[in-house]
Amino acid sequence: MGEKIVGMAAALLHGLYGFLHLSALAPVLDTVVEAVVMFAFVAVFVMFLVWMERKVSAHMQSRIGPNRVGPLGLLQTLADAIKLTIKEDVKPVKRDKVPYFIAPIVAFVATFMGLVVIPFDKGVVVQDLNVGILYVIAITGFTVVAILTAGWSSNNKYALLGGFRSAAQIVSYEIPLVMSLVPVIMVTGTLSLKSIVDYQAQAGYWFVLPQLMAFLIFLTSATAEANRAPFDIPEAESELIGGFHTEYSGVKFAMFFLGEYIAMVVSASVATAVFLGGWLAPPFLGFLHLPGFVWFVLKILFMIYLIMAFRWTFPRLRVDQLMDFGWKVLIPLSIINILVTGFVILKGL
Amino acid sequence: MGVIHYFLGILKGFGNLLGGLSVTLRYFFKKTNTQQYPEERLPLPERSRSMIKLIYDGEKDMFNCVACLMCMKACPNSCIKLEGVRMPDGKRRMTTFKLDFSTCIFCGYCVEACGFDALTFVSEEYENSVYKRGSLLQDEQAMKWVRPAHLKPAEPAPPAGA
Amino acid sequence: MTDLLLSQIRAGQETQFGTDEYVVNLGPQHPSTHGVLRLVVRLDGETVKETTPVLGYLHRSIEKICENRTYPQCITYTDRVDYVSAMSVNYAFAQAVEKLMGIEVPVRAQWLRMIMVELQRIASHLLWMGSFAGDLGALTPLLYGMRERERIIDLFEMTCGQRLTYNYIRIGGVMIDILPEFVPKCRAFLDYFEDRIDEYEGLLTYNPIFLERTKGVGVITPEVGINCGVTGPALRGSGVSCDVRKKQPYLFYDQVKFEEALGQDGDCWSRYRVRMDELTQSVSIIRQCLDRLEPGPIEAKMPPVLKAPAGGEVYSRIESSRGEMGVYLVGDGTAKPWKAKFRCASFNNVYPLDQLTRGWKLADIMAVLGSMDMIVPEVDR
Repeated sequence: MGEKIVGMAAALLHGLYGFLHLSALAPVLDTVVEAVVMFAFVAVFVMFLVWMERKVSAHMQSRIGPNRVGPLGLLQTLADAIKLTIKEDVKPVKRDKVPYFIAPIVAFVATFMGLVVIPFDKGVVVQDLNVGILYVIAITGFTVVAILTAGWSSNNKYALLGGFRSAAQIVSYEIPLVMSLVPVIMVTGTLSLKSIVDYQAQAGYWFVLPQLMAFLIFLTSATAEANRAPFDIPEAESELIGGFHTEYSGVKFAMFFLGEYIAMVVSASVATAVFLGGWLAPPFLGFLHLPGFVWFVLKILFMIYLIMAFRWTFPRLRVDQLMDFGWKVLIPLSIINILVTGFVILKGL
Repeated sequence: MGVIHYFLGILKGFGNLLGGLSVTLRYFFKKTNTQQYPEERLPLPERSRSMIKLIYDGEKDMFNCVACLMCMKACPNSCIKLEGVRMPDGKRRMTTFKLDFSTCIFCGYCVEACGFDALTFVSEEYENSVYKRGSLLQDEQAMKWVRPAHLKPAEPAPPAGA
Repeated sequence: MTDLLLSQIRAGQETQFGTDEYVVNLGPQHPSTHGVLRLVVRLDGETVKETTPVLGYLHRSIEKICENRTYPQCITYTDRVDYVSAMSVNYAFAQAVEKLMGIEVPVRAQWLRMIMVELQRIASHLLWMGSFAGDLGALTPLLYGMRERERIIDLFEMTCGQRLTYNYIRIGGVMIDILPEFVPKCRAFLDYFEDRIDEYEGLLTYNPIFLERTKGVGVITPEVGINCGVTGPALRGSGVSCDVRKKQPYLFYDQVKFEEALGQDGDCWSRYRVRMDELTQSVSIIRQCLDRLEPGPIEAKMPPVLKAPAGGEVYSRIESSRGEMGVYLVGDGTAKPWKAKFRCASFNNVYPLDQLTRGWKLADIMAVLGSMDMIVPEVDR
């Protein structure tokens, strides 16, 4: 289904290029169109996620949450976005001008680029790289550069502390994040997200069952990667006010905010593709004949719901405990997991 | 032994985390507690100290206040200013009454001190915000309130000094 | 080169690359400090070298104002000394004046005061629980605490007409008798509330992150606690029995059965535990009070103008929600106190903050400060 739609859209688009005598530029234009479509999708999706986070947290705290702007408050985020774009951009006088300006852009772009390799449906993927997993992890790791830059260039003590914390955190949590994915790669023998989903379709099971431990480790480290509570020490509100984005306002703040949510979407998508069977229908629900895209989004939403539930239930870890947890719990567990998986593969069980 | 403790600790922690999640999850599906204020208005209790009003007697066409100055003396913040005159029939009548709500702390001493059923709290009026600070200085016309027929006059106030 | 640098750093010597202290101001406007307390924190990386509380941003000179107000008028100001636990301060002042003038308070009024003060203790602890969890990064308990506190405040509003600054407990009695429906409503609340306590415990008590953040952090040893004048749940967390309700019973605390909640380790978790236990104890105290409530007068017979004997002085203390709340009064024969002094628990509870946080991480300051249950208006008055 998804493949058909994409094929039709491509045919239509190429017809349009021919009509406008732009066929020579087709590869470039394709990329532009893909980027625009992706951006539109992500912008709408993130708006929905922000609304969802506010609703989920509200209902967990027996409140109602936004319900004034639009039906069920769905347009609340749009109103907030408009407010953020038109409000004054307050800047510290003694900031380091260029890095201060670049940091939010890097934060946003780095996470946004992770979406390139996500297979939303069978055949619906911007670019199916054969090193997809590696690419996602590498590119989302860039956010730490942005956060560190933001913390340094704002010339603010809280921001600097937040930036340093973030650097330490991402270094520690990138490792279990990668290592939790290794067993799946060992089983499937591929780094492409699409092929991993295909493998799950053939095998008839999702990796969440045999690799539950890896799934939990991935979930934890992905929460930390996205700087979400209980690992939100770079922006720990009760100590550092806003952490690295203390001095940012207006559109630049919105970029960081958007980046955080896109990071969540990317992590959830990778988890969905690797552990939850991507666009495949869940067992016993195949009779619904929903398009794969819908299943994919539903699974992402489930993952994001989990991450939100963590945030609104758990206290925040202290910075040294965060390191302890990463190095003393997650990494040993993931190593054991790799060893056990290797043993099982070796014995051909 | 240490290894077993290590894994047991992780398992136990994980279980307790799930316990916490179950609490929030339960509330996620429960009814919310919010009252949507401008649309949903809860009636305030009768004793609620919301707004101080000067009782106006419609039949006699005058305020109940006789300017005995007890409320002025009882007020801890001196936010009441009032003046009165002696009428030809020998009774005292209030001429001006000013209450500065910007310094009033709604302690209720003035209402308790009043022995002539002239001051009262009205629980219905609780939206007291104004745009200008000066508007909080209210005079007897702003504070005029006619007791509706269904409300009885309050019990005589307890003796002063309370 | 690197080895040399490392050994120098380990030995604490001056290195070629001298390290500087990082001085961070937490407050007076900061999300962690509840109000306008300012902490000047000297950091070495993330590690705290020194914490200096700077007080006085909320000083309103309530004690001086009291010297210019008659005794009943002073009560309205005591509401503002500790607005989270206004009933307790109301009572503390009323008790001091009654001792100073030798006023006998009717029995029913005493029971009513006890109910109100204990309800207030629950409300105050609920708010504390929420803000403590909020300091540690869990935002949901605050909303749950506020939800239950709302029902207590509804009870107060039904009785005295105010929701925050009650001015309910007066010299010689209480302002007004409770409504007939107060007792069933109060009982219904207590039944509802007992189940909620388990929920809070499920959310926080044994949560591994919460344990990590609070166990062993900010340990007040009994010696430090006593030397710094720490009182209330903060000291009871260290296992020191110091409940004024037991040591020097006022009201009818000697006639009801309750346990003094005691901790063991003196860390943040023990202080949390003590307050959670006090919630249960307060529920039981209120139940006993409701059982023993009998009709009767609610106000003592007093002269219209209260005058303290010249030269009379009194110091009386109660166990407020935060610890020992003392009121010192000197009368000079007029209707106004010659001198009024409040001994507030929060002021002393902030005192050992520097000792407790030295060598810990920045985030631990919030945990320790939160677990002390400090209210800035009470610190500065």
